[in-house]
Amino acid sequence: MAETGRLSAPAAPLASPVTLVRIAIVAAILVTWEAVAASGLLFRDVVPSLLVIGRATAGLLADKTYYWHLGVTAGEVGIGLLIGGLSGLAVGILLGSNRLLGRAFEAYLYYLGPTPKIIFFPVMIMWFGVGPGSKVAMGTISCFFPVALSAAAGMREINPVLIRVGRSFRASTWQMVTKIYLPAMRLPAINGVRLGLGVAIIGTLLAETKLSNRGIGFLIINAYSTFDMPRMYALLIVLFVLSIGVNAVVGRLGGVDSIRRA
Amino acid sequence: MIARAQRNLVPAALGFGALLAFIVFVEVLIRTGAVNRFIVPMPSQIAGAFERVIVEEDIPHRFLITAREAFWATVLLAVFGIGIGVLLYRVRLLRSATETWVAAMASAPTVLMYPLFLVIFGRSERTIIMMGFVAGLPAVILKTIEGLAGTRRVLIDVGRSFKLTEVQLFWKIFFPAALPTMFVGLRLGMIFALINIVGVEFLINFGGLGQLINDLAERYDLPGTYAAICFVILVSVVFFFLTDRLEKWLRPAD
Amino acid sequence: MSSVTRAAAAPRAQSAAPVLVVDGIVKRFETPDGVMTAVDHISFDVAPGEFLAVIGPSGCGKSTLFNIIGGLLDGYEGRVAVSGETLKGPHASIGMVFQEESTFPWRTVTDNVAFPLEIAGLPKAQRVERARHFIDLVGLSGFENRYPAELSGGMRQRVAIARTLASEPKILLMDEPFGALDEQTRLLLGDKVLQIQDQLKQTCLLITHNITEAVQLADRVLVMTYRPGTVKRMVPIELPRPRSSEIVSSDAFGRYVAQIWGDLREEASRGMRDDEAHRGGGAP
Repeated sequence: MAETGRLSAPAAPLASPVTLVRIAIVAAILVTWEAVAASGLLFRDVVPSLLVIGRATAGLLADKTYYWHLGVTAGEVGIGLLIGGLSGLAVGILLGSNRLLGRAFEAYLYYLGPTPKIIFFPVMIMWFGVGPGSKVAMGTISCFFPVALSAAAGMREINPVLIRVGRSFRASTWQMVTKIYLPAMRLPAINGVRLGLGVAIIGTLLAETKLSNRGIGFLIINAYSTFDMPRMYALLIVLFVLSIGVNAVVGRLGGVDSIRRA
Repeated sequence: MIARAQRNLVPAALGFGALLAFIVFVEVLIRTGAVNRFIVPMPSQIAGAFERVIVEEDIPHRFLITAREAFWATVLLAVFGIGIGVLLYRVRLLRSATETWVAAMASAPTVLMYPLFLVIFGRSERTIIMMGFVAGLPAVILKTIEGLAGTRRVLIDVGRSFKLTEVQLFWKIFFPAALPTMFVGLRLGMIFALINIVGVEFLINFGGLGQLINDLAERYDLPGTYAAICFVILVSVVFFFLTDRLEKWLRPAD
Repeated sequence: MSSVTRAAAAPRAQSAAPVLVVDGIVKRFETPDGVMTAVDHISFDVAPGEFLAVIGPSGCGKSTLFNIIGGLLDGYEGRVAVSGETLKGPHASIGMVFQEESTFPWRTVTDNVAFPLEIAGLPKAQRVERARHFIDLVGLSGFENRYPAELSGGMRQRVAIARTLASEPKILLMDEPFGALDEQTRLLLGDKVLQIQDQLKQTCLLITHNITEAVQLADRVLVMTYRPGTVKRMVPIELPRPRSSEIVSSDAFGRYVAQIWGDLREEASRGMRDDEAHRGGGAP
């Protein structure tokens, strides 16, 4: 330990202190983890050696069936996002553009938004069966609310002058939506999609862990029931990397856009 | 005054009326056989099941279990979330090193770790509490940092001009200035925690309200399942509404 | 550093030793365009009970001077001394009133004003009693239990002044305390400050860019130059005391304003040219 401290000192010009702290934290976590794993005292069997986890991750990524399951889940999330996102966008635009409808119905969305969606799963199974249909439904329900709410908020933030400009050119409703509303509310819409994607992933995968025979959620719960801890860690690590990555990409789409516009 | 009350009443009546009309519409659809009553029970049946579920399934007791889990998750969130947030704010280097990590964790599907927690803590309330805690933690940390960092410069200068010590500066200036934002974070964290607590209860078939839904669904008690779902929604809406009010009350300035 | 000649010695015979001595202050800042001298060899004294106003155009280093005398800014050349004691950091004898809204929104008027007493460790009952005295002094009796959000901007600034007065500073140091208020409120609050100063025999140092305010309140007005900030002129204001805002309509008042504007005009236009050059010639 003391040696690493001495080694890092001359490296200072190469790496910023922040980077060094990051490396130190990661190293400390890994070393602690490995020590716990090797000692076998705490959390026996729950904390496998890093080497074992690494091997399991590599094995997972080399496994063709994993990609099939990933494809199933991605398809479910994608369709859920498409249906929930589009309907959320439509409802959001409607509620955001019409004062009466907004005041009549937005409170329902606002208060239903933060309820646990997974409890609808038994109902979705009855409606859409035990297959991918009910998973898609879970993804749809999950992402409908954040997309609708941020679309409605985005609509109201549109500069009213822009709407008057559109009206003055006698644009039709469809033209108003495609030429004024959607371009003007691109950022809140993208942000809504980002939030919606996050909860759609959660909704779909949780449903898969509850009742399914395919998909990443199924693989995770399967690793649990066979007590294959290294595989469970590998699945969770890959899942986290993927979802954080997708989130960052969507967020960047919004961010880059805002810079270009400014 | 009357005009204003009417302005508020019309949309509320429209919203509520539409909801009622929808319920009646579903009832009619099922009665006429357009929708299979073994998939969607009639709203009147669901309403009838409410009393049965509340009494027979002992909803008050289950509600208390969920409330107890939420309470402990909130305590953990307040202690560790605000504690870590304060630590990261005070140690600038640590903050610049880890703030993006915390933000990334906020967007990660942490609930999916529940099988892992199940292995560590077993099928117990501890698993549920820890899942709620983990789900809410990033929001509390980030909002705590945001609140402290947003303390207005001039208020800190006032403190310095009165020769406050570092500790006094923290407790008398930074902390109260950040408190409203911290509460926003704690409320967010509590909402995430509650969602995940009920969700995990449902998923691992253990504990309070979430398990009840799973139970009733496994027994194919359709009206009961729908009634229990309505009850959970009611609970979260009431919780959300009350904390929303509390938050607005805490920020009278804006 | 103290070898600098006093640019403006107090013209009025001062029997008592000065309570505040500012001696040859130089403050430089590192900027992307190189080193910028904000304040250049500023020296002046303030006698006990005196009201000194420092006036200058935007960007003359007034706020830098305020922060240095308040002990919030260091790394300068020269010396600031309070009753002969060289300043190192905030001094208990100097009470600061800030330009920005600085009341604590989470404390009532009483708790705001009692803040310095709380820090000093006074028991609660005594704190409340003292606070009440200063609340009364600034004319806010009846608002003791209100929160700042329930008060107007002028009332909030009076709370801030009462809070500073409650620490019983030898010198009340104010940085454009009425800057964010409208002209009428500003004049009326000026009356309040005059009245308080008269009652407490409070030594005051006011930093401002408002000529009317400076002449209305001060015994002497120090006119600063634009960047770097130096002492351009010290103008004694020989208007009778006690004063009130009615004085603004007198001829003598007008002459002082005209005289100071004559000095300031040059500096302000220099600042404006500089500003415009900075923005590439475009009018702001």
